[in-house]
Amino acid sequence: MAAALQDDIFQLVREPIDVGALIRHVRAPGDGAIVTFDGFVRNQSHHRPTLYLDYEAYESMALAKMREIGAQLHEKFAIHCVAIVHRLGRLEIGETSVLIAVSAPHRAAAFDACRFAIDTLKRTVPIWKKEYFEDGAVWADGELPPAPAVTLRVKPAS
Amino acid sequence: MAPVSQTVRVKVLFFGRLKDVLGHSEEFLDLADASTIEELFALYAARIPELAKYRSSVVASRNEEFASWDTPLRSGDEVAFLPPVSGG
Repeated sequence: MAAALQDDIFQLVREPIDVGALIRHVRAPGDGAIVTFDGFVRNQSHHRPTLYLDYEAYESMALAKMREIGAQLHEKFAIHCVAIVHRLGRLEIGETSVLIAVSAPHRAAAFDACRFAIDTLKRTVPIWKKEYFEDGAVWADGELPPAPAVTLRVKPAS
Repeated sequence: MAPVSQTVRVKVLFFGRLKDVLGHSEEFLDLADASTIEELFALYAARIPELAKYRSSVVASRNEEFASWDTPLRSGDEVAFLPPVSGG
């Protein structure tokens, strides 16, 4: 597995995400393109007005899964650097919940890698979103991560 | 001599709607040795019947890796029950 570059960033934060700073971070003279995904809080969900969202995570596992995504990007795509930052806690309408920035010498790899990163994050990273409405709150419908169906029984080391 | 029944102590974590149903997010539990994740979940479902209905829409992890329900547990393991994820 290609090692993630030291320049890569994987973070869970509780403060607003500085999108510009992350884009500048992944940018280097050898690159020719940066593709970013800026996911932010929509003002409605299934036509119900949203008041705000609250995100929680299994933080240690979420970070491990985000680093795995980074390693996969370097394996699969000719990219230079990636930053994946997800915010937790209460987020207001319009605030960025996730920012992914990918730099590469050429645009195709940056587009493909960024798309792969957000799609994989939404399926595999243990983060949950609770949506608050005028008349109550619900956990958002999510995606069930792909888990192994059956374990091979390995004899425990004695 | 009577056989000594071995137990293993595991840390159990609940997230999202499961945490709301349980009322808290983590605890330590002593289990019979070689209990599986399935058996661990069944203990909770026996205690809190509402949890049982989430079984088919939950995945489990052991030590921060997704794990199958038949995974046997060892002392010191950290098991989490994860509802469908909705980050992004």
